[in-house]
Amino acid sequence: MAQTHELKFENPSFGKRIKGMLGVDFYRLFHTPMFYIFLAIAAIIPAMIVSMTGMAGPDGAATRPLYTNVWNIVAADSPLYIIHDIGQYANMNMVFIFGGIMVSIFIGHDYRSGYVKQLFTTHAKKRDYMISKSLVSAFSMACMCITYLIGGIAGGLFAGLSFNVNVGSLIIAILGKMVMNLGWASLYTFLNVIFRRYFGISVAASFFIGTGIPIIGAAAIIGNNSLLNVFLYGSSVYACLSGNIVTMLVCVVVSAAWTVIYNLLGSLVLARCDVY
Amino acid sequence: MNAIEIRGLSKSFRGLYAVDNLNMTVPVGAIYGFIGENGSGKSTTEKLICGHLVPDKGSIKLFDRKYTNAGVRARVGALIENTGCFPNSSVWDNLMMQAINLGLSDRAGEIDRVLRIVRMEDNAKLKFKKCSLGMKQRIGIAMALLGDPALLILDEPINGLDAEGMKMMREILVDITRQYGCTVLISSHILGELEKIATHYGIIRQGKMLEELTAKDLEGRAKVFTSLKTQNMQGAFGLLRQKFPDVRAEDGYIRIYDVDDTEGIVGLLMQGGFPVREIKKNKIGLEEYYIELMSKKEA
Repeated sequence: MAQTHELKFENPSFGKRIKGMLGVDFYRLFHTPMFYIFLAIAAIIPAMIVSMTGMAGPDGAATRPLYTNVWNIVAADSPLYIIHDIGQYANMNMVFIFGGIMVSIFIGHDYRSGYVKQLFTTHAKKRDYMISKSLVSAFSMACMCITYLIGGIAGGLFAGLSFNVNVGSLIIAILGKMVMNLGWASLYTFLNVIFRRYFGISVAASFFIGTGIPIIGAAAIIGNNSLLNVFLYGSSVYACLSGNIVTMLVCVVVSAAWTVIYNLLGSLVLARCDVY
Repeated sequence: MNAIEIRGLSKSFRGLYAVDNLNMTVPVGAIYGFIGENGSGKSTTEKLICGHLVPDKGSIKLFDRKYTNAGVRARVGALIENTGCFPNSSVWDNLMMQAINLGLSDRAGEIDRVLRIVRMEDNAKLKFKKCSLGMKQRIGIAMALLGDPALLILDEPINGLDAEGMKMMREILVDITRQYGCTVLISSHILGELEKIATHYGIIRQGKMLEELTAKDLEGRAKVFTSLKTQNMQGAFGLLRQKFPDVRAEDGYIRIYDVDDTEGIVGLLMQGGFPVREIKKNKIGLEEYYIELMSKKEA
């Protein structure tokens, strides 16, 4: 048989490899209806919460409004790790719950369809996979933050809530939470790599961690302690309407640190474990 | 240079060795038929080569490079177990994703090319989940062909196909190997089909390589035999045993091995009063060779 192939093997650079993998993940993301469904969910939920706040209950009497200021649907006035009512809990941190579910479904399909084998046949570097998934997941969660914001504002307009706010703090709160997306996305990617053979468990684990229950539970024991900021949920709560440049710095450092940790751990697990 | 060179490769699952100190050599340009019974370690070996599984010990080299080398891995195409396609995406979208992953420049052109090779150009818009098994196998091959692979690893590409699908798949495999000239590792149970295209064989059993041989080796080792039927099989068998060293009664026939003299056999039987009702000359093929090797090992 004639050997017609040129046997040249050029090592693709990190940039070329990651470009290919990111390209696939973005192509998939934009071509899957699930992404748009989650964007819609992220918009509808805050809109519903805000617009229904203060509506008359079944007895005809107006219920106590959850918020008087529309921006409380984005972030709390101060960093509250202990939750007393749903109003203190329902803010942009909910995107981390929706994001967790979406990322689990997105990555879970890689394994369920067997596509991950195609990827790993041609890409030997498991680190590329972790980085690409973390970035794409963070992007999708950032998009959810934007639709969440739009939904919240629309609901606030409908409910006639106050829009008074310190614009600087609001921007820091929004940007802080968006920065935290990268850490959360890396965590979810890591969880999905760990539970890659168990789709249901990976969805449940992402949901559970995303709710922040472990940190809320810890806060119930140790109180509103700023030490909780070293965790993703803690820093996400810390990005509130009384935030300043330090808040932003904390979010950047904590998100970056956990991103590195989860990416390293995930790469290690993938390199040492079989892919099914 | 060898396309695949495996030395002392082992892989165990819960203490049981699926691949046990395996050695394997696939020369560049070969069409390597990887043969073995179910659970013999074929798929595990292929998954190890593709980097899906982590070996316990041993080395794998692809084109004289470590198998984890990104450069060499970028030119490996595989179809192992399933195609790795997303069921709700179209055939085109699935191929496009792989083309993007490989960083191909003319993606649309490349997709058209591989779809033509596997004769799927009219079904590009079809959702993957709507495709038949045969179509899915062909899409898997198209996927593996993207990006000009130097090595193709195909695990049971003919399995589960009907006669027509099998014929089409064989034609496609022949096209690929003859026209595109990459090294191909194919595992299959359907040895008759494999024999038509393979240039090299590796026979694996219980995770160990029993034998590696070329198609020429097989040809050289293949015994010629004459099989016949007479009215009195027992009498004829006794007469032939006296004259020829290797006479066996198999599958309702008397088989005389390593004798290429039909006229002599017929003459001898006629003289002995055993008129021949049916006679044919045969050659042991891959399937018989494999079965014989397996029974020798079992004995």
